[in-house]
Amino acid sequence: MDLILQLLFTGIGIGSVYALVALGFVLIFRAANVVNFAQGEFSMVAAFLMVVFAVDLGWPYWLSILLTLGGMALLGALFNLGVYYPLRHRTYLPVIISTIGASIFLANTTLALYGPQPQVLPPVFEGQGFLVGPVFLDSQYLLIIAVTAALVAFQYWFFEHTLVGKKLQATSQDKEMAALLGIPVAGMIMLTFVYSAVLGGIAGILVAPVLFVSIQMGATIALKAFAATIIGGFGDVAGAIVGGLALGVIETFGAAYVSVPYKDAFAFIVLVIFLVLRPQGLFGERVAEKA
Amino acid sequence: MPLLEIRDLSVRYGEIEAVRGVSFAVEPGEVVTLLGSNGAGKSTTLKAISGLVRPAGGDILFEGQSLLGLKPEAIVRRGLAHVPEGRRVFPGLTVRENIALGASNRSGLSKRVLRDEVEGMFELFPDIRRFGDALGWTLSGGQLQMVALARGLMAKPRILLLDEPSLGLAPVIVQAVFAIIAEVRRRGTTVLLVEQNARMGLSVADRGYVLETGRLVLSGAPETLWADDDIRAAYLGGRAKVAAEG
Repeated sequence: MDLILQLLFTGIGIGSVYALVALGFVLIFRAANVVNFAQGEFSMVAAFLMVVFAVDLGWPYWLSILLTLGGMALLGALFNLGVYYPLRHRTYLPVIISTIGASIFLANTTLALYGPQPQVLPPVFEGQGFLVGPVFLDSQYLLIIAVTAALVAFQYWFFEHTLVGKKLQATSQDKEMAALLGIPVAGMIMLTFVYSAVLGGIAGILVAPVLFVSIQMGATIALKAFAATIIGGFGDVAGAIVGGLALGVIETFGAAYVSVPYKDAFAFIVLVIFLVLRPQGLFGERVAEKA
Repeated sequence: MPLLEIRDLSVRYGEIEAVRGVSFAVEPGEVVTLLGSNGAGKSTTLKAISGLVRPAGGDILFEGQSLLGLKPEAIVRRGLAHVPEGRRVFPGLTVRENIALGASNRSGLSKRVLRDEVEGMFELFPDIRRFGDALGWTLSGGQLQMVALARGLMAKPRILLLDEPSLGLAPVIVQAVFAIIAEVRRRGTTVLLVEQNARMGLSVADRGYVLETGRLVLSGAPETLWADDDIRAAYLGGRAKVAAEG
């Protein structure tokens, strides 16, 4: 029982990271109708920026976070202008290829600038964590869960209770109609890319102390997050969160009870099971109704 | 000066010339109906006016100023609201939210004013008041048309472009929709109406234009159009029907 609680905590922690990246997928998918295959690279770039600011330059952690998130917002804006905007009137295929190209570009630029050595980013808090009963609560995992919960709450408030949030929803549901009402569609999509890049960046900053900071981390996280969005039902915000958390828990339990070397495989086994038995995902119906 | 003037408008979709040299005008306070069968170029004309498609030639003047090259967002800010074919109510937003977004072209509205104006729309459209918090996709066709009209009016337009408001609606709902159009007109909003249902379209109109395969073939007061045998046969429900009613 103790082990189960411990694994659950760890699983939710790592699942929160998948959920954040999955949210970025879903938001861009809904706003621009394309899957952004560079979403994972946002996390990777942010982790490397943290290493540069906090480790190499030795700047304070909080300042490094602010600079990194600022950099991610800028990257999101440039990404929109360079990768999506020129192709916005085309079908989804050229845009998807464009995001794959951007993903390769970001990974290899980082490789060229920083070399192939994995880096280490120290955790935010000095303390390792504390025991609650039999369960050891690692401080970094606690932070991941708390920040994810806060972001999900913020996002819910933003989309459901602000006029800009409503305009973003309208844009994602029918761009032409949104334009006819005077909603600045290009601006709304820009905002979505900036926010998604920042979300991916936050995920990268949070997960970096848990994993090694490496060129490959983006692809690994993105694949898990992509699986999470499919399990949740593509395009559904709640589905992305539930899918991400579920995936984190499943792979943690799988590693503990079945096989550690196959840890990364569990996500894809679950993905395949969903694609065969329930391709619309857990929350899929509502997406169909929106179409 | 006409409120809206279309001069020699042409629109192409690739090789197909959907609108060919169409000219007409809408005076302030008028209701003008564009009639014609499927594919006559009615909807395309409206889309060109609201900026959704780019004309191949000609000019579109609103209050004497050309709208060519402006994006839809900019055009609606000038006071032209387009309620497109198929209602296009946002399926994942509530009726209240849909109507409120109709004011997106007007900047600096306080939340309170916006809320009051949405409530005001329910005075004009009492049938949809009780669906205020229902999501768009749960509504019937007639209710969606009411929401789309209310949303269009929230723009406080100088001219309202209505594309086929009667399409797919039961006759009793069509009557209700046209009663509202008459009320909109009574309140001083100019209306450019596109209809296949010529009988209803002309019932509220000051003038009508008939489009045929992208060209204007006839124009005039509703009585004049009614009197034209060929037009009656082609667009107004056929000779037999008119004779039977007459």
